[in-house]
Amino acid sequence: MRTSKILLAAGLATVSAVTLAACTGGSTPTPVNTDATVNLGLVLAPTDLDIRTTAGAALNQALLDNVYQGLVTLDDSGKIVRDIAKSYTISPDGLTYDFTLNSGVTFSDGHALTADDVVSSLQDATKNKTTYVDASGLADVASVTAPDVGTVEVKLDKPNIETLWALAGRAGIVLEKGATNDLKTTALGTGPYTVAGFQANTSLTLDRNDNYWGTKAQVKEIVFHYYADTATAANAALSGDLQALLPVDPTQKAKFAGAQNLAIVQGDSTDKWTLGFNNTDPTLSKKDVRTAIREAIDPKAIIAAVGGAGLPLGGPIPTGDPGYQDLTSVDAYNAADAKAKFAAAGVTRLTLTIPTPYGTTISDILTSELNAVGVKLTVKQVDFNTWLSQVFIAGNYQLSIVDHVESHDFGTLWTNPKYYFHYDNAQVQSRYHQALASTTEGDEAKYLSQAAAIVSNDAAAEWLYQGVVLNVVSTSLKGLPVNNTNNRLNLANISVLGGQ
Amino acid sequence: MTPRRTQGPAWLRELRRRPAGIFGSIVIILLVASAVVSSFWTPVDPFYADPFHPWLGPSLAHLLGTDAVGKDIFSYLFLGSRTTLLVAAGSSVVATVVGIALAALGALTGRWLRETIAVIVDILIAFPVLLIAVMLTAVLGPSLVNVVIAVGIGFGVNIARVSRGEIRRVARTDYVLAARAAGVGPWRNLVDHIFPNIAPVFIVQLSLAAGVAILSEAGLSFLGYGADPGTASWGRMLHDLQNYITLYPLTAVWPGVAIGLTVLGFNLFGDALREATDPRLLAGSDGPMDRRSSRRRRKAATP
Amino acid sequence: MTRFLATRALLLLVGLAVAAILIFFTLRVLPGDVALTIGGTQATPEQIAHIRRSLGLDQPVLVQFGDWVAGLLHGDLGQSLLTGVPVADDIGRALTVTLPLAGLSLVFGLAIGIPLGVVSAVRHRRFSGFAISAAAQAVAAIPIVFIGMLLAVGVGLYLRWLPVQGFPNAGWANPRRAFDSLILPALSIALVEGAVLLRFTRSAALEAMSQDFVRTAAAKGMTRTRALVTHGLPNVILSVVSVLGIQLAALLVGAVLVEVVFQLPGLGKALVDDVGNRDLVKVQGELLVITALILVVGFVVDVVHRLVDPRERQADGDLE
Repeated sequence: MRTSKILLAAGLATVSAVTLAACTGGSTPTPVNTDATVNLGLVLAPTDLDIRTTAGAALNQALLDNVYQGLVTLDDSGKIVRDIAKSYTISPDGLTYDFTLNSGVTFSDGHALTADDVVSSLQDATKNKTTYVDASGLADVASVTAPDVGTVEVKLDKPNIETLWALAGRAGIVLEKGATNDLKTTALGTGPYTVAGFQANTSLTLDRNDNYWGTKAQVKEIVFHYYADTATAANAALSGDLQALLPVDPTQKAKFAGAQNLAIVQGDSTDKWTLGFNNTDPTLSKKDVRTAIREAIDPKAIIAAVGGAGLPLGGPIPTGDPGYQDLTSVDAYNAADAKAKFAAAGVTRLTLTIPTPYGTTISDILTSELNAVGVKLTVKQVDFNTWLSQVFIAGNYQLSIVDHVESHDFGTLWTNPKYYFHYDNAQVQSRYHQALASTTEGDEAKYLSQAAAIVSNDAAAEWLYQGVVLNVVSTSLKGLPVNNTNNRLNLANISVLGGQ
Repeated sequence: MTPRRTQGPAWLRELRRRPAGIFGSIVIILLVASAVVSSFWTPVDPFYADPFHPWLGPSLAHLLGTDAVGKDIFSYLFLGSRTTLLVAAGSSVVATVVGIALAALGALTGRWLRETIAVIVDILIAFPVLLIAVMLTAVLGPSLVNVVIAVGIGFGVNIARVSRGEIRRVARTDYVLAARAAGVGPWRNLVDHIFPNIAPVFIVQLSLAAGVAILSEAGLSFLGYGADPGTASWGRMLHDLQNYITLYPLTAVWPGVAIGLTVLGFNLFGDALREATDPRLLAGSDGPMDRRSSRRRRKAATP
Repeated sequence: MTRFLATRALLLLVGLAVAAILIFFTLRVLPGDVALTIGGTQATPEQIAHIRRSLGLDQPVLVQFGDWVAGLLHGDLGQSLLTGVPVADDIGRALTVTLPLAGLSLVFGLAIGIPLGVVSAVRHRRFSGFAISAAAQAVAAIPIVFIGMLLAVGVGLYLRWLPVQGFPNAGWANPRRAFDSLILPALSIALVEGAVLLRFTRSAALEAMSQDFVRTAAAKGMTRTRALVTHGLPNVILSVVSVLGIQLAALLVGAVLVEVVFQLPGLGKALVDDVGNRDLVKVQGELLVITALILVVGFVVDVVHRLVDPRERQADGDLE
């Protein structure tokens, strides 16, 4: 009798000990639901799947790292890391890049990846560097060859330190040589997921690639839901339809204050909310006017208006990109001086053209602040297509607000007079070329920051703020990247806790 | 266009008797008053933004509080009445011109042209005002003028159709037939006899048109096709505030209620006017319940 | 009768043809270029020209029109300039949302408008009748988008009885969920349209009630309601039918707005999106389908009205 009581007591004790351990989650690992479907909410939708010719961050988010892979990729902090390449070396003169490929890499259709596939993809991108999206980084590539079956060699005709970074993006993805699938509606790559379904502007579905050559994905299916407006997206997240909302509009943040299973995760981004000036416009070609506009704007007010989701930015290079320095003291907020400069220049009216997807929060502040210094701002909201044709292509505007989200875009924006800012400064251009030709990262940063300082002192634009990324993530979803998720979304490591 | 003397005071008297008519008249008068006053003065500059003090509750400084960027809601709402009035009045003018032109064409011309116009009118009626406005704004860019034109055309076509029946009816009365026999020209007939008789129906339609115009502007601004950011408009307020309706529902209620009350005012005014100008009072009808007048009333009741 | 049918059918076809011409040529006046949306901000002028060529947009306008009409006669509405998906497919899918939405709104609207209209007429001298009529007036004055927002927030977010927004991606595969997504949007439209129908029904019922045969029935001892329902109802229904054609246009407009408020992937929302993208082929197709729907329903309503209304048949010479 007593023995059985002791045994019973021992049994009970054991059971409660195990239960306690499971509840605190200390020693026992929480099971992962490998059959889970993850629903993600995003805002900008892709119109088709053509990774080569269709622009837009939406395709980067959906397909880079998930379906398509390249020799190298970027990690969550934006550093270049190896992917299909097992290792790589760069010659001291910066002209030769040698990549050793991982063995056993396969495409999702089962075919093995060979150096020939890499060579043909890179040659294709190099040949089409003016028509393929993001391929201009391969401008200095002279040849791509496969010295042997497991290595690829890229030779440049002059050093270009941005080449590796370009290879980590769309320019470097590897497609199967001789594949004939329609890129607009299908995607064939080496990644941990395959495209299972696509409805333009509505949703995109990825399925786990069970033949993946690396560590298989831990979720069965991912569905990207695209929302046209941020309030609907926020409501969907609140009602549990989504496991993550990327990003959440800062103005909707308060809705999630009491949400039990959702957390707001803040990350870095290279978003540069830019008030662009048309530098060739008669009124804006005068530097005093441009300076006055910058001085009339209080960045603290703008950041307050966007719910605090921003960092002050004084120049064209954001934190996280090479060449960043704090330029916020240039043309800092000074309403009195702005008023004087406007009066001296005789400027009383300015026009701001914004695309409709952008709300009027920022333009309302600008209207009010410019009004306070004697300038009436007329705000025109036009649909995105009209913005493209009027502002971007025809340059028919004075001021415009655009969120430039790309990283490493200093060259595109500030060294090309044909870009819609129409900014042309030979010193900036030469500094930039020196930066590209550097062989060390330190040198590159030095020249880039010099160039950026010139641009800022020229008052070529006003940088309203640098965005931060605010994502809403369910507490049961793990492994989601934190930074730069509006540019790239590597979902290889996500998992859903069991029982969800 | 002189109203017949027996009508003038009669329908006005009837109107004043009806509570709906009184309410409607008060709303319209308030709207005009706000529009005029707000053009010269508002408690706070409606466009002054203070992002450090968003979402303040009502206070003496801000009667209805502030919005997401710290603008004074009451001042903005106050100034918005001007846009509402302009849209209502503008659309009515356009609708009148279009309606009269089409109706006159339809009534005065020979059979072929009349039937063709009738067909075109029927097709245009089928085209919802919103779609006309969407296409217009896509072509010309979003602006209030486009809203006014679109609503004016859409409603003018409706008015033409309604008036067509009226004009035909009046054209057949003994009075007019006698005048034609006596050699009075068709234009003269139109001005002297037909217009005064259809005027009440017209005015009723116009007041309904005003209501539709205001609702259309709200809908179009909501879609982003209406007023530009520099124009205070109740429709824009709805558009801007829809994102915050779960966080600060009261702020979005103000423009919704303002629009609803104003449209209600116009509708009630129109209804009261319609009842006050019942064919009973017009010369030439056969009594309240004859078949033709009941059908006529049904047509006139079509908004 | 046959002559009437034939004439109306001919008018319907002519109407469609005129609409097609109006739509096509008005859209060609649109500034802006879908090739820009496709090319994006990185596109060079050569790329954009290339895109435009591949879409056939560089052909003369009349040639494009001819191609479109030729396609129409085969039931082919062309392909989306942006995605290459056949327009008919996209519209078909969008209709699986918009048609049920419109139908549901109509059902709700009639269910709200007719009974309440009759009640309000029967009790028009009592407070309840006046209250119903006044409430209808007030509701009809409220913007549909506002009602939609209130319902979405109140019923969807706070009470959580129905989905807040959106339509399930799987479509009607899960009929229950799909239907649930349409209830609040349909209700938003139906409340306003129902209010309008209520007023029509009320005035038609009032008129019917003053007719001799209804008065006689009431004098014979039936309650007013009974008398109205058994004798006057046909006339009331007739009046309502005669305005249904116009109400459908209003329903479709309502559908466009609520589809945006509730983020439903229907025809209305597609139209708004495609105009923004300058996807001309899709916009043409969508506008044509909407116009065709309205014209066809108008035709059907006219025919039904003509068949059923003895007065119309008698007064044929009056041609209205």
